[in-house]
Amino acid sequence: MNIEELVRDSLREQASGQASPATGFADRVLAVRRRRIRRLASVAAATAAVVAVAVSVPLLESGRTDVRPAEVIDGTVAHPDQWLPRDMIAAGRTVLAAYYTEQTVPTTPYRGVARRTYWLLDPQTEKYHMISGFSHVAIAPGMRTAAVLEQSLPTHRIGILDLTTGKIQRWIKVQHGVGGLAFSRDGSKLLATTYSENPDVRAPSTVNEKTGEWSWQGPLGSPRDGFYVLDAVSGTGRWSSVPSGREINGREDFAFSRTGEQVFSRIVGGRDGLQQFYDLDGNRIAAPANEKYLRSDVDARLSPNGRLAALGLTKEVGGSPGKSYSSIRDPLTGKEITKVRGAQLLAWADDKHLIAWERTTSLDAPYVPRLVLVTIGSDEVVPLSGPYKNIGKVVWKPVFAER
Amino acid sequence: MNAEGLESFRDFVDSRSSALLKTAVLLCGGDRHAGEDLLQNALAKAAGRWQRIDEPEAYVRRILYRQQVSRWRLKWRRREVSVAEPPEAGAAPDAASAAELRLVMREALSRLTARQRTVLVLRYFEDLPEADVARLLGCSVGTVRSTTHRSLARLRVLAPELAALGPADGEELPSRDFSPAEVRP
Repeated sequence: MNIEELVRDSLREQASGQASPATGFADRVLAVRRRRIRRLASVAAATAAVVAVAVSVPLLESGRTDVRPAEVIDGTVAHPDQWLPRDMIAAGRTVLAAYYTEQTVPTTPYRGVARRTYWLLDPQTEKYHMISGFSHVAIAPGMRTAAVLEQSLPTHRIGILDLTTGKIQRWIKVQHGVGGLAFSRDGSKLLATTYSENPDVRAPSTVNEKTGEWSWQGPLGSPRDGFYVLDAVSGTGRWSSVPSGREINGREDFAFSRTGEQVFSRIVGGRDGLQQFYDLDGNRIAAPANEKYLRSDVDARLSPNGRLAALGLTKEVGGSPGKSYSSIRDPLTGKEITKVRGAQLLAWADDKHLIAWERTTSLDAPYVPRLVLVTIGSDEVVPLSGPYKNIGKVVWKPVFAER
Repeated sequence: MNAEGLESFRDFVDSRSSALLKTAVLLCGGDRHAGEDLLQNALAKAAGRWQRIDEPEAYVRRILYRQQVSRWRLKWRRREVSVAEPPEAGAAPDAASAAELRLVMREALSRLTARQRTVLVLRYFEDLPEADVARLLGCSVGTVRSTTHRSLARLRVLAPELAALGPADGEELPSRDFSPAEVRP
C-alpha cells in the first residue's frame, strides 16, 4: 500500500462513519440566515445613528461616492481597552500572532545592542505571554510553527518551535550566521538573512542632559552578506551571497516576494519605502510586475486575491481625532483606485478589510495610534487595541500571521 | 425566497446534506461540529441566491472548498478530534496494523493546514483530476500538484509510523532525520 491509497482509505472510512445531520437542518440554516440579515440591518442602523458627519469616500468598483458603516467581519476579536495586548486580537483570516518591544541595552561604555522582547499568542489560552531567550521570531501561516533565533547574533542555528506545545521541535544548523527570519506565504520555505556581525549593534550618539540617558544610533553600512532559502520541513537548503553595498544600514532582513520565487529588502534612497528584488541566487533583478509599485515600509502589500496593493499615507483630515487615509492601488499600473482609512496599513484581514495603525489624536497633537480594522468603501474604523501609551519610551511592533 | 424556493431548498438539504456533511467533516479534519458549522455557512450563503443557482450541489460544494481554504471563519485552534475506537483486540495482525495506520493517518490529516487537507480531500476522496481541483480552488495545476506533494510529505513528518509506506507517484521522500541538520551552501 502506498501513501495515496492509505489517504484514500482513511478518508473514506472516516466519511462512512458520519451520521446524517439532525432533522430540521434546513430550517436551522434558514434561521441562521434570517439572524444574519437582522444583525446586518441593526449594525447599519446603529452606525447611522451615531455618525453625525460622514466623509464621502469613493466606492471601489463603481467609482460613485457613498457612506457605508464599518463592518465587523467574521473572526474579529478586539480589545480596545488594552494598549499593550494581553488577549488575542484578530480579524478575518489574520491574527496578531505576536508582538515585540525593543530596547537598547549597553554592553560596553561605547556600544549597545538593540534587544527585542517577544510576546507570543498562546493558542490554547488566547493570551499573549512573554518569551525569553529569543532575539527574533517568525511565525508560519497556520499558527502552528514558529522559527526562532537565540539572543546572541548572528547565530548558527535556527530553532523550529511548535506553538501548540511551546517546545523546540528541532534545530537547523547553518554555516553562515543568521540574524533574521521570514516564512514564505505558503509556509513551505524559510528565508534566513545572514550577517557577518550583529546587525543590532548601536553606538551612543548624544546624552540627554536632564535624564542622563544616552540616545543610540545604528551603524552606517551593514554586515549583511546573504541569505538561506530553506525547506521548512526538512531544513535543507542553500545559501546565496548578496554584497551589502552602501544602500542599506544595519539590519535589513530579506522577505519573500508574493510567489516565493524572489526575495526583496528595503533600500535607502531618494524616498522612503524603496525596495530591491533578488533572484534566489542573490542576483539583483527587477521587481515582479505585481510588486513594482509596492513600498517596503507598508507591510500589508498585496490583498489575498492579489488584485489590490496597499500603499502609504496619502491624506490627513483635521478633527478630533484627525483622520488618516492610505492609498489602495492597482498593483499592475500603480494607479490609485481608492483611499482607505489608516495611517499605516499592516495586514489584510480579507480582500476588503485591513488592519492598520490609525491616529487617536488631532493633527496638532502628538501622534498616538491604535490598531484598527478598516474597510474599503467605508470611512469608519473598528478599534482593535487601545491607544498607545508612553510612545516615547515603549515601542511595540505587531507580528501578524494567517490563521 | 418565495414559497417555491423554500420548498426546493428544503428538498435539496434533506436529500443532499448527508453527503455534503461527509465532505465538510473531512475538510475540517474529522471535527463533526466544525463540519456542521462549515456546511451550515455554505448552505446559508447558497440560500441567499437559491433561485438563481443552476447547479445547487456544485455551487454549495464550491463554497465549502473555498470557504475552508480561505479560513475566514475558522479559528486556527484545533479542536480536540475524537477518533474511532481502537482496533479490536485479537484481530489478525495485518488487519490490526492496517486499522492502526488509518487511525494514525486520520490524526495526521487533522493536523494539516486547511488548504493542504482540502487538496487531499478533493484529490483522494472526491477523486477529482488536478485540473478540476485547480478550477475549484482558483489556483494553477502546478500549485495543486506541489500542494499535494507537500501535504503527503507533511503527513510523513507528522506520523513517522507511515514511514514504511511506499511513495506516491512522483513523490520524493524528504529526510526524516530531524537531528540538527547541517546545511551547506
